[in-house]
Amino acid sequence: MQGGSTGIVYGGLKYQARCIADVKADANNTSFLAGTLSLKEENEVHLIRLSPSAAELVCEGLFYHPGEIWDLASCPFDSRLFSAVFASGETNGAVIWKIPELYGQSNSPPLEQLVSFDGHPCKIRSILWWPIGKHDKVISIDEQNLFLWSLDCSRKIAEVQSQESVGVLHHLSGGAWDPHDRNTVAAFCDSSLQCWDLRTMKKTNSIELVHVRDADYNPNKQHIVATAEDETGIHLWDLRMPNFPFSELPGHAHWTWAIRHNPQYDQLILSSGTDSTVNLWLTSSNNSDDSTSESQSDSPTQKMDPLLNSYTDYENSVYGIAWSSREPSMFASLSYDGRVVVESVKSYLPRK
Amino acid sequence: MATDNAPPMDEKAKRTRELLASFYSTEASTAGRAVPVSPSRVATLDSINSPSFDPDVYMNLLIRKTNLEGLLHKHVEMAAEIKNLDTDLQMLVYENYNKFISATDTIKRMKNNIVGMEANMEQLLEKIISVQSKSDGVDTSLFAKREKIEKLHRTRNFLRKIQFIYDLPGRLQKCIESEAYADAVRFFIGAKPIFEAYGGSSFQECKISSEETMKLVIENLKGKLYSDTEPIEARAEAVVLLKQLNFPVEDLKNKMLDKLEDFLLDFHKESKRMGITNTELDEPNGASIAEFSKTINAYRIIFPDSERRLIELAQDLFTKRYETIQQRITEQLSSEALMLALRDIWSDVSLMDQVLPEAALPVISLEASRGVIKKYITGAFSALLRYVSEALTGPQTSPKGTEEQRTLQTALESSKKAVIQGSMDCLLDFRHLLDDTFELVTKMRDLIVDWVQEGFQDFFKALNRHFLMLCGKIDIIKNRVNAAEGFRAEKVQTGLVLVLAQLSIFIEQSAIPRITEEIAASFSGGGLRSYEYGPAFVPGEICRLFRSASSSFLQIYITMRTQKISTLLKKRFMAPNWIKHKEPREVHMFVDLLLQELHGVGAEVRQLLPSGLTQRHHRTESTGSTNSSRSNPLREDKISRSNTQRARSQLLESHLAKLFEQKMEIFTKIEHTEESIVSTIVKLSLKSIQELVQLQTLNRSGYQQIQLDIEFLKNPLKEIVHDEAVIDFLLKEVTNAAHERCLDPIPLEAPIIDKLIQAKLVKNKEPNSR
Repeated sequence: MQGGSTGIVYGGLKYQARCIADVKADANNTSFLAGTLSLKEENEVHLIRLSPSAAELVCEGLFYHPGEIWDLASCPFDSRLFSAVFASGETNGAVIWKIPELYGQSNSPPLEQLVSFDGHPCKIRSILWWPIGKHDKVISIDEQNLFLWSLDCSRKIAEVQSQESVGVLHHLSGGAWDPHDRNTVAAFCDSSLQCWDLRTMKKTNSIELVHVRDADYNPNKQHIVATAEDETGIHLWDLRMPNFPFSELPGHAHWTWAIRHNPQYDQLILSSGTDSTVNLWLTSSNNSDDSTSESQSDSPTQKMDPLLNSYTDYENSVYGIAWSSREPSMFASLSYDGRVVVESVKSYLPRK
Repeated sequence: MATDNAPPMDEKAKRTRELLASFYSTEASTAGRAVPVSPSRVATLDSINSPSFDPDVYMNLLIRKTNLEGLLHKHVEMAAEIKNLDTDLQMLVYENYNKFISATDTIKRMKNNIVGMEANMEQLLEKIISVQSKSDGVDTSLFAKREKIEKLHRTRNFLRKIQFIYDLPGRLQKCIESEAYADAVRFFIGAKPIFEAYGGSSFQECKISSEETMKLVIENLKGKLYSDTEPIEARAEAVVLLKQLNFPVEDLKNKMLDKLEDFLLDFHKESKRMGITNTELDEPNGASIAEFSKTINAYRIIFPDSERRLIELAQDLFTKRYETIQQRITEQLSSEALMLALRDIWSDVSLMDQVLPEAALPVISLEASRGVIKKYITGAFSALLRYVSEALTGPQTSPKGTEEQRTLQTALESSKKAVIQGSMDCLLDFRHLLDDTFELVTKMRDLIVDWVQEGFQDFFKALNRHFLMLCGKIDIIKNRVNAAEGFRAEKVQTGLVLVLAQLSIFIEQSAIPRITEEIAASFSGGGLRSYEYGPAFVPGEICRLFRSASSSFLQIYITMRTQKISTLLKKRFMAPNWIKHKEPREVHMFVDLLLQELHGVGAEVRQLLPSGLTQRHHRTESTGSTNSSRSNPLREDKISRSNTQRARSQLLESHLAKLFEQKMEIFTKIEHTEESIVSTIVKLSLKSIQELVQLQTLNRSGYQQIQLDIEFLKNPLKEIVHDEAVIDFLLKEVTNAAHERCLDPIPLEAPIIDKLIQAKLVKNKEPNSR
C-alpha cells in the first residue's frame, strides 16, 4: 500500500502485453516468460530471470514471435519448452515452441517450433499443461471444443487423442487442469465452469450461472477452485458442492481478471484486475478446509479483512500474474502497458 | 533497759524491738512520736522505727548535722522518750501478770464442777431404752387393722369407677346436649381401657351405648369440621378430638383437599373464560381468591401437616395463571393489559403469601413474571421486525412499471416510519412496564431495562441480517442450507436494494440516535449485566453495522446494475467478428440500450437519494458550449497525427499524455448521492467497454463503428454524469483502445460522424413524437 515501490520492475517489454508465465522446470533460477501483444509490430517473448541477489530482473533471452500472444504457458518439465496461443490478424493458432540454445549471445535466435496444434475449428483460447510434472498429454481449448493431445517431444509430433465439443452456446475462454487428478480439467466460459473427465470426454460437474473470467485449482487441496468473475469478485468453490461458493472475496473495483493460488501457502490468493491493481488475499484456514461444520461457527466471528495487500503501482489493467514455483513468496505481474513487476510477499506470509 | 544496750547485746535488742513493734504497731502509725524532729532528718528519723535502724549511723548523722544546741535539745528529748517507754513497759508486764492469775483460778473451778455429772448420764440412757420397747408393742397391735382399711379404700375407688362407666352414656349424652365434645371425648377415652378389658362381658351394654353416643359425637364433630360457618378454632378443635378418637383424619383431609382442588379447577375454567371474553377479570377473581386464601388459611390451622399439598395447590394455581398470560401474550397483548394482569396476580400472590409463606409464592411468581415480561419484550421485538419487513416488502409485490416508481419512495417512507414508529411504540409500551409503582416491577426494573436494551440491540442486528437476506447477500456459510435453494434463484429487485441502503442510512442517522435518547431517558440504569459485557444496547456498534450495511447495499446495487450493463455490452462486443466488420452506417443500437439502462438507474436512484451535486446547474451551462463541438480538438489532432506515425510511438505518446494528464480517479469511493452512484455506474460501464474493445482485433470499419458509437455517447453521458473530465477521459480511453486494436486505424471524418449522429438523434426522436 505504500506506493508499491517495493517491486522489482522490468521495463524491457516494448509493447502491450497480457501473458506472463512462471518457468516451472527451471530449478536453478526464478524466471518468467512474458509475451507481448502488438497488432502491427513484431511481437516478442522475453525470458526474464531474477538475478541471484533478487535485486533486478534480467532479460535472459529475447525471441521474436509471429503474431500477438494471447496465452502463454511454460512446460512444467522442460524449461526450454513453452506453449503460446497467438493471433495475427485473422489467423489464430497455438504452438509449442522450443527455446534455442543461447550460448551466451543474446542476439535473439529464432524460436524452434516443436508442435503446432492445428485443426481447431474455432479460435484457440488456451493450452494447458499438466501442472505438476511430466505428462505426455496437452489440452487445447478453443471457443467450443476441448482437444486432448498426446505429445511426443522427441519426435516433435502431437496427435489428437480425443476431442469434444461443448456446444455453440458456450464460448469457452480458458481452462484449468486439476493438479490432483490428471483426468479432470475445468473449462470456463461466460456463464459456467465445467469439469470434464478426459477419459470419457464427458462433463462431470459444473458450476452454473457464474461469469468466470479465470479459475485456478488449489494446488494443495483437492476440489477447491477459485474463480474470478467480472463484477462479482472472487468466489471459492468446493467442487463437491457446486451450488454455492463456500467463501467469497470482494475482488476488484472493476473486473477481476486473473486469480492464482500460491503454490505453497494455499491460503494466499493473488488476483489482478482491470482497476490496475493486484490484490493479495488471505483466506481463512477453515474455509479452505473441507468446509463442513466448523466453518459455520467461525465465520461470524471472523471479521478479519481478507485483503492483505493491494499493489497499486500500475498504470494500466493487469492481466497477467504468476507465482514463482521456485520461490513461492515471489510473484510476477504484467500490466497491459508491458511492465513486469516482481514483488515479494514475504512480509505477509502466515507465520507457522 | 533497751536504750543502754551495748552493741554486743544486739540479739537481745532485736528481740526487744520486735516485741515492741508488735505491741505498738498500730499505735506507732497513728501517734508518730518522732514527727516533731526537723524535716531534714526525715529519713533518719523514719529509720529509727524501721527494723534496719542503725544507731551508729544515726548518731553520726545527728552529730554531723546538728549544732550543739540542737544536740542538747535532742538529748533532752531522747531522754524523755526513753523514760516514757520504760514506764509503758512496766505497765504492760503488770497487766499480763494479772490476766494469768485470773485464768489459773477459772481452771481450778472447772475441775471441781465436772466430778458429779457421770451418774446423771447413766440414768438418762435407761429411760430411753424403755420408751423404745413400748412403741414397738403399739405398732404390732395396730398392724392388722390398717391393712383392712386399705383394702376397703381400694374397693371404694373401684366402685366409683364402675359407677362412672355406668353413667358414661348418660354423661356423654349430656355432653352432646351441651356441645362439650371435648369433655365427652375425654370421658370416653378415660373409659376406653376398661371397655377394652371388660367390654366383652360385664360392661357390654354400657360399652355399646356409649360407643353409639360417641358415634354421634364423631358425626357431630365431622359436621362441625365440614361446615364453613363454624369458627376456625372450633373446627381445628374438632379435628384434634377426632384424631384423639383414632378417627381416620387423613381421609377427611384428603377429601377436603380434593374438594379444594375441584374448586380451583372450576376457578380456572372460569378465569380462562373470563380471560377470553374480557381482560377485566379482576372482579370475580379477586373475590374467589380471597375466598381461596381464607380456605387455605383455615386448612392450615385445621390440618397443620397438610402444608405440602396446599403449597402445591397454590403454586399450581399461579403457574396456571401465568401460563394463561403467556398464551395471551402471543395474541398481542398491550403492555397495560399485561401489567394489569400481572398486578392482579401479584396482589393475589401477596394475599396468598400472608396465608402460606412457605409456598414461596413471591419467588415463584417473580420468576414467572420475569419470564412473562421477557417473553413479552422479545415478542414485541419480533413483531416489530415483522412489521418493518412487511412495510419494506409489502409494496414490492404490487404492480410494476410506473407504479413501482412511486412505490420505491413510498416503500422507503413507509419502512422508515415503520422503523421509527414501531420502535417508539415499543418503547412507549415498555415504559408502561416501568411506570408502574408496582412492587414486582420495582424488583425487576433493572432486568427489564436490560432486556429492553438487549432487545433493541438484537432487534437491529436481526434487522440488519434480514436486510442482507433480502438482498440475497446473506452470509453464505451461515445459511448454507437456505442458501443452497435460494441463493441464486432469488431475483433481488434493484429498487429494494436501494431502499435498504437508504433505510440503513436513516436508521444509522436518525432512528438510532432517537432511540438511544429515548432509552437514555427512560431505560437507563440496568447494569445487572456483568461489566465485561458492557451495556446491553450499544448504539455505536449498531450505527457501525448499518453504516457498513448501507455502503455494502450501495455496492450491491452498483454491482447488480453494472452486471446487467456488462452482459449487454458483452453481447455487443463479443458477438460480431470485428475483423470483418462492415462500414458503419449508423450508430449501433446498443447505445440506446445502454442509455436506457443508465436512465433507468438514474430514475431509480433519483427517487431515493439526494442528488448531491450543488453546482450542477452551473456545470451544465458551462459545458453547453463545448458539447456542441463534437470532439476534443486536441484528441482529434493526436489521432490524425498518429495515423501517419507508427503505432509504437503512438502508444508511447498516449502513455506520455496519460502521464501529463492528472491521473483520473475512476474508482472513487461511493457516496450516498445520486450523482455518485450514477457516475460510478457510468464509469464502470465505460471501463468495461474499454476492456472489451481491448480483447478484440478490429478492422478499419470496426474501429470507425466504435468511434462513432463513442462519439454519440459523449453528449448523453455528460447529461447523466456531470463530471465531464472523467467521461472525456474514459471515452478517449475507449477510442484509444479501439485505435490500438485496429489493424488499419483510420478514423471517420468529422462531418460523417456528425451526420450519422444527427440521423440517429432524429431517428430517436421519431418514436417519441409518434
